[in-house]
Amino acid sequence: MGCVIETFGLTKRFAQVGGFIDLLHPLRKKEVTAVEDVNLKIKKGELFGILGPNGAGKTTLIKMLCTLILPTAGSAYLNGYDIVKEEEKARASLGFVTGDERSFYWRLSGRQNLEFFAALNNTPDPRSKIDELMALMELKDKADAKFYSYSTGMKQRMAIARGLLNDPEVLFMDEPTRSLDPSVARNLRDFIKEQLVKNQGKTVFLSTHNLDEAEQLCDRIAIIDKARIRACGALNDLRKTIKRNETYLLEVKGFPGYALTKLAEIEEVISFSMRVHSDLTLLEVELSSSEAVLPQIIEIIVGTGGKVCACSTKKIALNEVFDQLVNKGEKIDI
Amino acid sequence: MTFKKALVFIKRDFILLASYRFSFFLQLFGIFFSVLTFYFISKMFEGVAIPSLEQYGGNYFSFVLIGIAFTTYMWTGLGSFSGNIREEQMMGTLEAMMVTSTGVSRIILFSSLWDFIFTSIRAVIYLLVGIFLFNIDMGNANLFAALIVLILTVVCFSSMGIISASLIMIFKQGDPVSSIFSTASGFLGGVFYPIAILPGWLQNLSYILPITYSLRAMRHALLQGYSLEALSTDIFALIIFSIIMLPLSMLSFRYAIRRVKVDGSLTQY
Repeated sequence: MGCVIETFGLTKRFAQVGGFIDLLHPLRKKEVTAVEDVNLKIKKGELFGILGPNGAGKTTLIKMLCTLILPTAGSAYLNGYDIVKEEEKARASLGFVTGDERSFYWRLSGRQNLEFFAALNNTPDPRSKIDELMALMELKDKADAKFYSYSTGMKQRMAIARGLLNDPEVLFMDEPTRSLDPSVARNLRDFIKEQLVKNQGKTVFLSTHNLDEAEQLCDRIAIIDKARIRACGALNDLRKTIKRNETYLLEVKGFPGYALTKLAEIEEVISFSMRVHSDLTLLEVELSSSEAVLPQIIEIIVGTGGKVCACSTKKIALNEVFDQLVNKGEKIDI
Repeated sequence: MTFKKALVFIKRDFILLASYRFSFFLQLFGIFFSVLTFYFISKMFEGVAIPSLEQYGGNYFSFVLIGIAFTTYMWTGLGSFSGNIREEQMMGTLEAMMVTSTGVSRIILFSSLWDFIFTSIRAVIYLLVGIFLFNIDMGNANLFAALIVLILTVVCFSSMGIISASLIMIFKQGDPVSSIFSTASGFLGGVFYPIAILPGWLQNLSYILPITYSLRAMRHALLQGYSLEALSTDIFALIIFSIIMLPLSMLSFRYAIRRVKVDGSLTQY
């Protein structure tokens, strides 16, 4: 399957606005790097997430790919079109969904807004396309109501409907669930995954700083921080790169408290904690070496009268990957 | 497709304007009361022969009515493009338009269409109020010549307006072009009084402003029924202004678009 988004060393530096003192040195340029040397290949039908803290460069990257900002260096292709040299063709291949609800005319109805943007997008047979999108977004009943009367969730669905007016290959979504309550955000995430990606086969490039959202939705994730992509891959690939001691979760029935002392005596046990739920004890044990020690731990539990009902390894959550990359500043090579 | 796009911009702006009904009717009332004000001012000159008005038929009220009716085209041409860019930036809709398949120059051009239509409606109301309520005589008007002058006027002022919009895109505020040009035009262009009453050196200055030629030609066409041939000097001057200003405005706009895309300040205000 071909790539619909490809970037090669994509870089953006902005001139920094200085104070009056800088007027004395007109030739001395101060620059701030917003995006540096980004190389991505995103396949058709992929739900790709770009994850990073505020100010990491997510929005600048999306705006470059949407032809709203010119890159300083490097190149990028959208659906095969150069975003600088063939920007009109590139724009025809993309839809842009922003979390900013101000980007509509509040005194026009939802339908009138879509009619306006459909004309700008050269949408063939706009009337039926708008009906189709309104139905898809479950906005048909409120299509002729003024935009200002819409709830935040409806406004966000309108933004998606607008992004789909030109039936784009790629849908860029800049923090689409930013201002939504948890239940509306969950519905929207389901919609993106099921309707847009699975049913319609769209490629979605989604920026977010919500780790759970990225974890639930994305096939692959790129973590961007301080203008650079720190890691990129499927969540499982990212997990494998994390240097962390193995942590096991054990569900034990009839766990006697004194067994903890015995566990603490094992040299390879780095830490442990336990939570009790009625007759079930949830034991979390961090080990420096698992293979030899885990049977020994189970033996102690069983030997002291406990019954091990379940044993699993604790999965590395995306926030741990994120924490290691962004907060501790480590670099992962995948 | 281009025509269809132009229509949706007009439809959008009409619906938005009509949704503010009170403001819409206030503007119409404003026209009536400004006509009334100048009518009473003109009463002061009734029965007095004013030599500088002779070439326009000698009536101050008809002179000033055409002045204010068509100066609105200058305000629209100068302010509409930059005003619309700023408004769309502040409303947050500019970015949404910029990612569509419609080029930015057409977006800016079409955004101003309704302003010119509304200006034309106002100009017609000014003239109709003058003709039917205050008995201005336009029986000899050469409407075709007036239309040619009007088109050239719109091209000249729109070019200035596009240069002004380019500056607004880059500097966001404080565009010097439109403020200097509109102040100078109001003062020297013969809107409220004939330029013949100005001192010689100010009269000379007024000839570097397109509005001087526009208003003179418009008054001659509507009040005296001058032919295109008789208006050729003014029309030629307006063509020269258009030939210089229009490409300059296109170049400045292209430069401004590139500059804000490099700066990333397209949607900042």
